[in-house]
Amino acid sequence: MNIGDHTMRIEFSDITKTYGNVTALEAVSIDIPAGSTFGVLGTNGAGKTTLFELLVGHDHQDSGEITVGGQSVANGGSNVREHIGFLPERVGFPGLLTGREVLEIHGRIRSLNTARAPRIEAVLETVDLTDAADRQVAGYSNGMQTRLGLAAALLAEPPILVLDEPTAGLDPRGVETFHQLVEEISQTSDATIIISSHDLHEIERLCNAVAILHEGRLKAAGSVEVLTETAGGTTEITISVPDDDTAGRLVDIIRPFGTTIVGEEQVTLSCHPSEVVEVIEQLDTRYMEDIDIEKPGLDAAFHAAVEVGRS
Amino acid sequence: MTDKQPSVADGGYDTVHGVATFGWTDGGLRDVCTIATTEYRLAVKNRWAIALTAIFAAFSLGLLTFSGSSVGPDGFERVIGSLAVLAVYLVPLAALAFGYDAIVGAEDSGWLAALFALPITRGRLAIGTYVGRSIALTGSILIGFSLAGILLVRDFGLAGWNGFLAFLLGTVGLGLVFLAIALLISTVAAAKTHALGAALLIWAWFVLVHDLLALGLISAFELPEFALEAMVLTNPAGIFRVLVLGALDAGGDAGFATIMANTGLSTALLIIAMLAWIVIPIALASSMLGRRRI
Repeated sequence: MNIGDHTMRIEFSDITKTYGNVTALEAVSIDIPAGSTFGVLGTNGAGKTTLFELLVGHDHQDSGEITVGGQSVANGGSNVREHIGFLPERVGFPGLLTGREVLEIHGRIRSLNTARAPRIEAVLETVDLTDAADRQVAGYSNGMQTRLGLAAALLAEPPILVLDEPTAGLDPRGVETFHQLVEEISQTSDATIIISSHDLHEIERLCNAVAILHEGRLKAAGSVEVLTETAGGTTEITISVPDDDTAGRLVDIIRPFGTTIVGEEQVTLSCHPSEVVEVIEQLDTRYMEDIDIEKPGLDAAFHAAVEVGRS
Repeated sequence: MTDKQPSVADGGYDTVHGVATFGWTDGGLRDVCTIATTEYRLAVKNRWAIALTAIFAAFSLGLLTFSGSSVGPDGFERVIGSLAVLAVYLVPLAALAFGYDAIVGAEDSGWLAALFALPITRGRLAIGTYVGRSIALTGSILIGFSLAGILLVRDFGLAGWNGFLAFLLGTVGLGLVFLAIALLISTVAAAKTHALGAALLIWAWFVLVHDLLALGLISAFELPEFALEAMVLTNPAGIFRVLVLGALDAGGDAGFATIMANTGLSTALLIIAMLAWIVIPIALASSMLGRRRI
């Protein structure tokens, strides 16, 4: 799936936005490299949707500047959205239209003339809605409607794809299907993809960089690896062993690296991510049946950011 | 990529001339036509268009049937007068019911969010929505009331055909005014129930209360002529009454219109006022939609 040959860098510089007495965003600065898959993480009310609304020109910030490809969004109006495929959090379509008719409307407004029909077929195939394309949207499940929204966002091959809480309200199967779609798009195109979510594992799975917002403030930003390491998350190494004697010998070897837990025919070590290689080198693999390494998640980074916000 | 490639000179973006611009370029017209076509198709698919046509036809044919009895009005103009009285109650209500959920209903379904995600100005979105629904409403009015017109011509011949044409055009204008007001209500309202309540209040004010109030003021005070004219011009239903019933010289039970038929308001001024009642709510709706948060 190719959604654009060119890429655009996105910069939020010192953005503040208030609604009455409520500060939705306060001095937020985020730099999103072109071609990255970037996650915006935060609890409800953190400012994620406001950030996206400002990016797509639905609203204007009180101060600061947002640029897309070096061009200010504030002056862009609806033109900005020509470069952005946006899947809003609460997307829906008239139930009496078919999926294909919805995409026809999007294609016309996005000025896809001769390319419209083949592009519609391509995106329908991408989101696996070809068979349902001529059915009325009223008969679509939530997951199918979200996939139709993604198809509409992909239709004009935009260099930027903005997905606002795309899996909210989907069942686990729908979430998995959606994740696979985004992974495919991310791997096969050079588009900049921005995803907001409050699901740590979703962001961790799909994104290579992340910004954590809390109560309208940017608490942390950077690559997933750097954030997890600086937050002090641990790597869990689980080693399957044939018997208790082997487990005992193994514990003697790995104890200096961290905390060990001996279970039934397995030993688990929690250690700093930087020590994983050294631990593996120390092990005598002849006595091990299996080894599973679980890297630290964003949990620690997120909770650290939120706790800092509260203190 | 799209066929509409951004130029290199402006850094990849089209030059922008301000947020409120409607940009009546080919693209602007295309956007309005796309939204209008969608709205029209939805009005046909969800059977609003056929329901409105059936209502207008049923009421007008029913009135025509009764007017043929010994107690009913006789003569082409008297029947048109009765049709106008019917229309002044029925058409605003139908137009408000048809349009009150145009924006707020689209927001409820998530369709507004999908449209806002597109590179289309909200002004064009409001206008396209109005145009699409107005085509459906106009078609329903023309077909629904023309059936009565055909029977009138059969019974009375072509002598009063001009009067019926004036009634038909006036009714279309009346419908378009209240559809524009419905669009404005729909843009301002936070929820569909609020919009429905506001639409009913608007109908009651313009169709029932306004003229009664005006009649009361006229009875109680010696009002100068410009005050009477202002009372007509501030009520689109009043404009319709004066425009159609005045032209027919058949006030019937039109009440306030019977009094107003002899004021100095010219047909041109009444038509301009009616157009203003269409344009101003649409302009306000376009502006308000630009500020709407979803």
